[in-house]
Amino acid sequence: MKLLHLYHDIMNLYGDYANISALTRIFGNSSIDCTVDKRSLADEVDLRPYDFIYIGSGTEKNRNVVMADMQKYKEALREKRDSGTPILLTGNAFEMLGQSVTDAAGTAHEGLGLYDFTVTEQNKTRTTSDAILTASFSDKPLVGFINKCSEIEGIHSPLFTVQMGLGNNSHDKYEGLHDHCLFGTHLTGPVLIKNPHFLIYLAQQIAGEKASISVEYLTYENAAYQISLHELQQRKESTTVH
Amino acid sequence: MKKFFTILITKFLRIIGKLVGKGSSLPGKIALKLCPDILSRVKLPPYIIAVTGSNGKTSTVEMIAHLLTENGKTVAWNKEGSNQIEGVTTLVLSKSTLGGRVKSDILLIESDERFARYTFRYITPTHYVITNLYRDQLTRNGHPEWVYDALADSISDKMQLILNADDPLVSLFGYERDNVLWFGADKLSTDTAYNDSVYDDGAYCPHCKKPMTYSTRHYNHIGHYACPSCGYHRHATDYTVTSVDLEKGKMVINGKDTIDLALRSLYNMYNLLAAYTVGSIVGLDGADMAHNLKEYVLKNGRIVSFTIGQRPGTLLVSKHENSVSYDQSIRIATANQHGCDVLIIVDAVSRKYFTSDVSWLWDIDFEKLLNDNVHEIVLAGTYCNDLAVRFSYTDIPQENIKVFRKIEDAYQYLDNDRQEYIYAITCFSDKGKFLSLVKGGSIG
Repeated sequence: MKLLHLYHDIMNLYGDYANISALTRIFGNSSIDCTVDKRSLADEVDLRPYDFIYIGSGTEKNRNVVMADMQKYKEALREKRDSGTPILLTGNAFEMLGQSVTDAAGTAHEGLGLYDFTVTEQNKTRTTSDAILTASFSDKPLVGFINKCSEIEGIHSPLFTVQMGLGNNSHDKYEGLHDHCLFGTHLTGPVLIKNPHFLIYLAQQIAGEKASISVEYLTYENAAYQISLHELQQRKESTTVH
Repeated sequence: MKKFFTILITKFLRIIGKLVGKGSSLPGKIALKLCPDILSRVKLPPYIIAVTGSNGKTSTVEMIAHLLTENGKTVAWNKEGSNQIEGVTTLVLSKSTLGGRVKSDILLIESDERFARYTFRYITPTHYVITNLYRDQLTRNGHPEWVYDALADSISDKMQLILNADDPLVSLFGYERDNVLWFGADKLSTDTAYNDSVYDDGAYCPHCKKPMTYSTRHYNHIGHYACPSCGYHRHATDYTVTSVDLEKGKMVINGKDTIDLALRSLYNMYNLLAAYTVGSIVGLDGADMAHNLKEYVLKNGRIVSFTIGQRPGTLLVSKHENSVSYDQSIRIATANQHGCDVLIIVDAVSRKYFTSDVSWLWDIDFEKLLNDNVHEIVLAGTYCNDLAVRFSYTDIPQENIKVFRKIEDAYQYLDNDRQEYIYAITCFSDKGKFLSLVKGGSIG
């Protein structure tokens, strides 16, 4: 498998790099050949050979620098998505795929235009929350943390339903973006470490249905997930007004 | 009259609060309700020194207060570390006369980074120290650039800025500005040429966002940087650590004043340097300060000695959600040449708010615990499994790692015949659970 970690150094704000570590390990333990290419701003990459593309979260300024740089991949990325290549974007990375990002000063930055949605940011209040999210592709919910300052309007195919946490905007209980095998979510950091079931699902998507994926080693990961889910559910119940 | 009564009530509430052991922010909160602009109605001392930044605020402020007091100055400062506007209001009003005048020579304020813009709307510091900007409590703070923007709102043209020249993001506050004094360290024997941490917040220029280069790194993004694209670079320093020897526990400032270190870390070095810088500005003598700071042991409870059975150890209070703080503790443990075991507890991520986010574990250089001086690692608390996963991605042999959900079980395990010194690394939120089990718990 050829994995591409794009903007690995500038879009790595919440330990996002660990998602690539998790995939490398699961393929290693499954005896599936796996190479990782880390590329960033100065590089010009041919996306076509890759079986998986990942981008993590960045500061708003860094994300805008990356978004301008990514214009060169616009068509190639569209082709990868349409051909069903798994793509994972965590934190504010998927915000780049819309029409525009309007920053706190009111300046609109051009998006990649793969989708019709628009993003509006402010710089007064950080919008953060622990999260429990459910998805059609998973029988178990995902847990994690959302850390953003934006509202997104116009996403028609979200990834998750929010059980606890934040939606794409303040009046929406749907989170993220899902299209073909592209997964965009505001969940930050090591999403694949925190959610071993999502790691297994994604590894299967990358390696193909017939691949045999080893899952036995995920003992601590599963225990950590169960405890986090329990803690969050308890928190959700204690803060829900009956 | 409103001023008089607000001050009176605040003083009264502060006395009551002290008697019943309550925090110091409530009286200020009530004062601000009674008289929202009370801080601008009080006559303040000629020196108003504020200290902010991600790490080292409390320690730096304590050292500055120590220096000033030792040299005959009277200082009003927020000793309890209540560093938002309410706590600062309590401080100012309880140190004020009923007529509204703070009698001390110097008002010394530790300020929270995100809330400084509210506090300094009413009080304008004459001197404003910014220590560093790291990844700290990102579940609330967003990220260092977000904090930078919030802090920028608290700075006005009149203030004398005192900045850490070795931190590229902090130094941006002084970009094309005249009234800045700079402190920093020359190239040190412990420096590295490249970033050796798991992440690098110095990879790109904070000014133009093009790749940045370092001629030397003290740790993480702290060092001597320059941007080949826009020319942004580390500023020459006015107050400088010219050499440091962590093994001998000595640092030299400006090539002449040698300070013997109680805590042998680069982080402590910066706190001492910042305190020395402020002392110099106020007019204290360098040699006197070096004497005052000699083997100075902080009284803020960050370092606590204990024993488990026959085994001695030190609690290194670190901050959850703050990788640099953990890195600091890891460096102390790995420097113990007699050999040590390390206990790490993550039970409640914060004492002030709920979160189960542990993504910050992936920013800590746990890899560095793969060291001949570190023998066994014990992981404990609610998030012990997350710690165990993080450690499984280091090259530390799994047989050297023990995992316990309950802190009591980790304690029982450590009550054994091993000869190694114990370092316990955890946060304010979890230290009480540990200290209630062990013997000792004395500061120092």
